[in-house]
Amino acid sequence: MQENSVLIVDDEPIVRESISDWLKDAGYQVATAESGEEALEMIEKQDFSVMVLDIRLPGQTGIAVLKEVKTQRPWIKSIIITAYPSAETTAEAKKLGAIDYLIKPLAPDHLERLIRETLGSVGKAPTVTTAVEIRPEPPAVEVVEVKKSLVISKDGLKSIVESLVKETEVVGVKSRHGKYVYDRVASFEELRLDHDVTVMPPTQYLLPAKETLLKFKVGDEAQVEPVTEAAQRAIIGVHPYDVKAIELLDEAFMATNPDPNYIARRQNTIIIAVDCLNPSPKSFAPSMGTRLTETGFDLLLTDIGNDYMVAVGSEKGAELLAKYAQAREPTGDEIVRQKAARDEALAKYKLSLNVAKERLPKLLEESYDDPYWESRTEACLSCASCVMVCPTCFCFDVHDEVSLSLKEGERSRQWDGCMLVDFAKVATGENFRHDKASRFRHRMFRKGKYIVERYGMVGCVGCGRCATACLADIASPLEAFNALAESAGLKEAAARIAMAAEPDTGLYAPRPAELVKVDELTPREKVFEFRFKDGKALGQRPGQFAEVSVMGIGESPISISSSPTKDGTFQLAIRNVGNVTNALHGLEKGAIVGVRGPFGNGFPLEALEGKDVLLIAGGIGLFPLRSLVQYVLDRRSSFGRAVLLFGARSPAERLFVDELAAWSKSPEIEFHETVDRGDESWHGNVGVITTLIPKVDIDVGKTMAVVVGPPIMYRFVIGELKKKDIPDENIIMSLERRMKCGVGKCGHCQINGVYVCQEGPVFTLAQLRNLREAV
Amino acid sequence: MKPKIAFFDFTGCEGCQLDALNLTGEELLDLLNAVDIVNFREVMTERDDDYDIAFVEGSITRESEIARLQKIRDQAKVVVALGACACIGGINCLKNHVPMEEALRTVYGKDAKYYDTIPARPANAVVTVDYYVRGCPPTPTELLKVVKALLLNKAPDIPGYPVCVECKMAGNVCVFERGMTCLGPVTRAGCNAICVTSGRFCWGCRGLIDDPNTDSEKDILQKYGLTVDQVIDKFKIYNTYAEVAK
Repeated sequence: MQENSVLIVDDEPIVRESISDWLKDAGYQVATAESGEEALEMIEKQDFSVMVLDIRLPGQTGIAVLKEVKTQRPWIKSIIITAYPSAETTAEAKKLGAIDYLIKPLAPDHLERLIRETLGSVGKAPTVTTAVEIRPEPPAVEVVEVKKSLVISKDGLKSIVESLVKETEVVGVKSRHGKYVYDRVASFEELRLDHDVTVMPPTQYLLPAKETLLKFKVGDEAQVEPVTEAAQRAIIGVHPYDVKAIELLDEAFMATNPDPNYIARRQNTIIIAVDCLNPSPKSFAPSMGTRLTETGFDLLLTDIGNDYMVAVGSEKGAELLAKYAQAREPTGDEIVRQKAARDEALAKYKLSLNVAKERLPKLLEESYDDPYWESRTEACLSCASCVMVCPTCFCFDVHDEVSLSLKEGERSRQWDGCMLVDFAKVATGENFRHDKASRFRHRMFRKGKYIVERYGMVGCVGCGRCATACLADIASPLEAFNALAESAGLKEAAARIAMAAEPDTGLYAPRPAELVKVDELTPREKVFEFRFKDGKALGQRPGQFAEVSVMGIGESPISISSSPTKDGTFQLAIRNVGNVTNALHGLEKGAIVGVRGPFGNGFPLEALEGKDVLLIAGGIGLFPLRSLVQYVLDRRSSFGRAVLLFGARSPAERLFVDELAAWSKSPEIEFHETVDRGDESWHGNVGVITTLIPKVDIDVGKTMAVVVGPPIMYRFVIGELKKKDIPDENIIMSLERRMKCGVGKCGHCQINGVYVCQEGPVFTLAQLRNLREAV
Repeated sequence: MKPKIAFFDFTGCEGCQLDALNLTGEELLDLLNAVDIVNFREVMTERDDDYDIAFVEGSITRESEIARLQKIRDQAKVVVALGACACIGGINCLKNHVPMEEALRTVYGKDAKYYDTIPARPANAVVTVDYYVRGCPPTPTELLKVVKALLLNKAPDIPGYPVCVECKMAGNVCVFERGMTCLGPVTRAGCNAICVTSGRFCWGCRGLIDDPNTDSEKDILQKYGLTVDQVIDKFKIYNTYAEVAK
């Protein structure tokens, strides 16, 4: 006989199975019988330590079985379970030596403890049976704790909702046009908790379609003030997959560069989640591991019929329950019913991923050039409905709006998405994802790879909203992943949670900087020298950039042209190409602009020190590179040989001509320059910049090349550098992208999985070899 | 110096001009503090032909209108097309589907001989247009946005993306899911999806986005039950001139 063998006798499969599951989980050997006859047959052949026995059985009753067992194997300890307790059967069972007499529904903890205690006494002196008692329904709990699962009545939930409505803004799921939407809720009766999926996800309350980041005044009373909303709000009816999406947003907006607006909303939001029991036909949440959740909510409800099972996820949730609802411990039956409800819902999902979600990053990596991307995008409308309805999409754009007086205004962010044509377009007109297939692929890569790798969480929660919203019927990541898995020959069927970070209230607030000097370089380019009003230094590394604001016009990323070795002020050389740069060009000495930063990684000074440096700038590539040239000259002894190559399109487009002249005479740096097209005034080299490279002798073993220029230049310059056998690790480049927010959130600057504003803009060629969309 | 603004009407219902200044009293006063309105037949009798910014309303449907518009272009530093007719040709272009003689006869009957007409066209078919205040009718908000941008010497943030984006921002249930059809996926946003939000669908009055996937939109309209003729009619209403109603 197994010392821990248990026989469960009950005619209800669900009771049998659930008790069996609990006990197996607790390490017992479990056998089951569905009738008295079957139980007796089993007992005849095999011994058991404990029998859990229902009274009302078809055929032989529990009492009859108990009698038989008492004769055949009197050492088996029996625990009676019944939903129909009576004084007669209680007395009878006691007479026949039953250890205990439990009323269904059962509390699994209690049953397991009883069995454990019983087993501890098996084989010892006969147990003195405890007094058999009929247990009433468990009383309301006095202390509600986090992590507990409790039960509340529908009236209890109603009381919670109606109390919340009196205290705070409540939004919840309502029916509209036969679909479900989140909307303001004034009473419990309006709420729908049996929805399949909402048209828009609840993330709209954490990252609204449009929200004000700053309020500002311009002119004599110039002022910039960050704005955060702190209204209390409860969201009711959030499905687990959306809870998982919110956990991703928490990671993206709270873990690094803590976003003050997001945090204010998040910390003032109560999330009352509800298990999804009627999944959308387009949902594949189970495949993404988001069907259920144990974290990310204040309360989580499961509809189990007349009552709700409620999991307590936070102190806030515990407080709500304690204050407004009579919560009690669940009975065993209620736990069984919760499991049954969830299992039944699971059976309703029609779609599944044919590849384990953990395999998605690799699958996508190998499918970058798959014809699938092109084949599916002919019908794409570039309407971005897929990303607008996505709970894990969080990219945004930023705009300034002013009053008609032009004296005051607001800077706000609004939803944007990588499926829109202009998403990756920069002021100079270059669009880094200009075709539908590359945008489509980028979105799928974000969902299946980039987000997963950056945040360690699922990038797609399987809600199916995009598949529903896409009129062209191409948006479902499930479909894409399965098609790619299929073509890869794969046919097979894994969290970090952001801590409630201290918000960085100044994240989006520019610091006022005064224009102390402005010089024209060419008719299109000027160099501006700024000093922060508070007197602090910018503290940049060469190669970093700043976000420069002209309040009312907007904000643009601008590379920093001066070395940190120059005290107090910093210089930004700027070409007039867009709204902000045009406004900057109109400024005069004494004007105030807003500056955030510095941002980005900058040039790898540690790797450059002690080496020969070959610096190559094409056109306005000299703007960021100049900071490094200055740095090298100011710390001359830290570097080996220094060579600077500069190419301009024409003599008239040469930049920093005084400095060029100084460098050409300096013994500290070897300087060569060329122009694409000469004129009568020009007596120097003519030809593209690549023609200068063969003229320079370099020691390959100790040379680091730093290249900055327009995208077209890189390919050719790299070709020449490779002819000199400079290893990829020693070729350093700075890339231009649309770095709208500077803090790794808005998404515009992304190259594959990399945020240029965070991991860039400076990369080695070795790094870029792994970033297909970089050059 | 406050910029001088003039409003001119060509062929249209003139609703755009009326709606354009459907501002609150406060907004109107702010506007008048910022600009001088020197020419606006709908609201004032004074006229001055010295102006910086010209708002032109209506489409061009008569020979004489071509010369008149060219003269406005010559005078104004900035020309802004106001409303669907001026921006994209609008509903006036529906007549382009029939011979001009027939159009005249249908409208004027026996008096047709006293009138002339040419196929209707938007303002930019005749002169260079700098900015567009789109819609039938346009919203005062957008007009003010363009005015403020002009005052700030910046390009106005008028969306280049389709109505779907704003429709999702508004939290609407998709028109197609409500059993109707819609031109939102190919129509330029900026209206906050007002028609859909009010329970209708997008008629396409703001014109097409750049590089619209009209083939896909037509397939979708058919998938949702429209016949080929119905699909074409849907595009015809506002977008005849864009030659997509084929």
